[in-house]
Amino acid sequence: MADENLPSHRRDSIKSSVGNVAAHRRRQHAVTVGKERREALVRTKRLCRVGVSGDAVFSLDNDMMIDEEQSVLEVQTISAVEELKITISYQGKGAVLKRVTALRELRRLLSRSEFPPVEAALKAGAIPLLVQCLSFGSPDEQLLEAAWCLTNIAAGKPEETKALLPALPLLVAHLGEKSSLPVAEQCAWALGNVAGEGKELREILLSQGALPPLARMMLPNKGSTVRTAAWALSNLIKGPDPRAATELIKCDGVLDAIIRHLKKADEDLATEVAWIVVYLSALSNVATSMLVESNLLQLLVERLASSNSLQLLIPVLRSLGNLVAGDAHTMNFLVAGHGTKDNFIAALIKCLKSEHRVLKKEAAWVLSNIAAGSIEHKQLIYSSEAVPVLLRLLSTAPFDIRKEVAYVLGNLCVAPSEGTGRPNLILEHLVSLVGRGCLSGFVDLVRSADTEAARLGLQFMELVLRGMPNNDGPKLVEIEDGIDAMERFQFHENEDLRNMANELVDKYFGVDYGIDE
Amino acid sequence: MDKAMGVEKRDPLGFPQWSPVRRRFGPDAPFFASGNMERELLAKQVALDIIEDEKQQLENMEDVEDREIFCPIVGCGAHLNSLDGFEDHYNARHTASCSVCSRVYPTARLLGIHVSEVHDSFFQAKVARGFAMYECLVEGCGIKLKSYKSRQQHLIDKHKFPVSFEFFKKTHASKKQRQKNQRKLSVHKTEEASSAMQVEEETIDGLVSAVSKLSTSDNSPSSISFGRRHTRGFTFVPRALQRARGPDSSPAGAKR
Repeated sequence: MADENLPSHRRDSIKSSVGNVAAHRRRQHAVTVGKERREALVRTKRLCRVGVSGDAVFSLDNDMMIDEEQSVLEVQTISAVEELKITISYQGKGAVLKRVTALRELRRLLSRSEFPPVEAALKAGAIPLLVQCLSFGSPDEQLLEAAWCLTNIAAGKPEETKALLPALPLLVAHLGEKSSLPVAEQCAWALGNVAGEGKELREILLSQGALPPLARMMLPNKGSTVRTAAWALSNLIKGPDPRAATELIKCDGVLDAIIRHLKKADEDLATEVAWIVVYLSALSNVATSMLVESNLLQLLVERLASSNSLQLLIPVLRSLGNLVAGDAHTMNFLVAGHGTKDNFIAALIKCLKSEHRVLKKEAAWVLSNIAAGSIEHKQLIYSSEAVPVLLRLLSTAPFDIRKEVAYVLGNLCVAPSEGTGRPNLILEHLVSLVGRGCLSGFVDLVRSADTEAARLGLQFMELVLRGMPNNDGPKLVEIEDGIDAMERFQFHENEDLRNMANELVDKYFGVDYGIDE
Repeated sequence: MDKAMGVEKRDPLGFPQWSPVRRRFGPDAPFFASGNMERELLAKQVALDIIEDEKQQLENMEDVEDREIFCPIVGCGAHLNSLDGFEDHYNARHTASCSVCSRVYPTARLLGIHVSEVHDSFFQAKVARGFAMYECLVEGCGIKLKSYKSRQQHLIDKHKFPVSFEFFKKTHASKKQRQKNQRKLSVHKTEEASSAMQVEEETIDGLVSAVSKLSTSDNSPSSISFGRRHTRGFTFVPRALQRARGPDSSPAGAKR
């Protein structure tokens, strides 16, 4: 660094510039790590840090690594791969032990931090070696450690996950019923990560026959294997191609297992199974009908009403939401069936009152779909405790929730259109809701920069302008500064909204407005 | 899977009335993104020590990044930090209001054009003498037309404005204005009635002088009506525009 022959002041300036560079690098690194951390947290892949059999307990290191530590890790990884290579070619006494030890070392390096040295391992040629370690007849410990290494290699960036391609057939093979449970589970975990990467890899796994063995692993009543398999399956069937979802529901015993787990399993397992139901209900009509015909709906409603685990509530709520959205028959059952109807609405209200944003938003969405149903459905919601909660949310909740609430309230005010007739107002609901102050919430939506929300707001305003008795509509809208909000659209870039707003202003606030005051 | 789109019922005016439809989303739809993120965060919570703060940050970040919001006012395009930011931005940048008639415009330039065209007798005088005074509303175009209508046509032809667009909208006045006008009207009823009649019979030059009597120093809208009725909160419609509508067109006060 500093040249000793230089006068001291020169030395100092060089020293400080180096210091600055290092500090700058650290800051840059921190930004990168922050971004990477965010991506890692949000990815559908999961790093395996503690063994599936739960025995390998070691301290989890501090995740913020600075440059020097990372490069040390990389060097260690490269030498671990080298070591593994040697043990594989070695045929003599104690070969297995040597191999397993080398694998274990590599596995530890790949499990330590949030950003394991995957790139270094790949560059050093780890994959072909790991594939060899997966060969049939290998001892369980070897299979386990190799699968664990592959799991964590697959947990990172897309290119890294794709590097697992050569290993896939073997991983699938070791899911078989003859494999030991920990081995099968670790392979399932690795495959779950691969499936979580994207639809191309999902296609490949499906064509390699990964689905049936994973489905079989989900059948027992309990155990961590069941849970890992369920998670891997949820990644495998998430589409967008619906064929995998349909194939899954047709596998022997799967429907029964799903029902059994949703009924009896602990919340962790029920969560993963619920996510499977989310994808089944979103993608496959075949699956949806089979699920609806069983008593699954009831079980979902019970879970929704009784659980307090956000993890579980999200997929349960969403499954119900998908089922309600997709199928009029389902909705009828849920809302008119004996016993379920009150519980269902009550459970949805519980979600509306929750502190969790996702639950509030998706519960409002479900209610909006119910409110889009028959008059009885609307009355069911209207007469429930939902309305005061919704009105409160309309004024205080974050934007995305307010938008969903708007759908509910508006749907409550309009009857289903019989054939091609014009949809009629349900005056009682409209008058009551407006009387309880919902109009200002809609005017706020008109003012927002979101096209869909503005449209909703304008459409509700039209209901008020058209439908309120005694021609009270225009006055009410004016009081809430609705005219001002509509006039903003004169110079709005969206022609549709412009025309809608202009029509309303022209029709209800023309020059004659206010004459008979 | 697609959204279940119901056919919207349009009433004779064309307004797409509220029509309840079930809305369905595919598993990858942005609608579900925050729930998906929550799933992964919760799954990794224990293993990676995610604290509540960080989780909150992540959730907020996602909302912002997935929504690129830009100001929707024509010609603005300002990038907005969040939907909440839009209101502040709008109030700061798009509420230039006319001190004479309280109309609000989204830019200072449009306000200026409005004031010239509607409250400036000098402008009207030049129009009357055949000068091309009506500027194109699109910044940078520079074209000037001789009449409100031809400017309108230019906007439609060259700049794809909708046929229904009206720069100068016949609009209501606010409640306060109307009450003010009501008081003024009841006091000056007879006087104004006669002057209204007078103005109608006058020539262009007479119109110009009548307009100059209104003058922009008067802070309340004129309550003179060119039509048969006394409309409250009446808004000034240049004779040029009335003429352009044709002889069978209704007086300024009638609805379209």
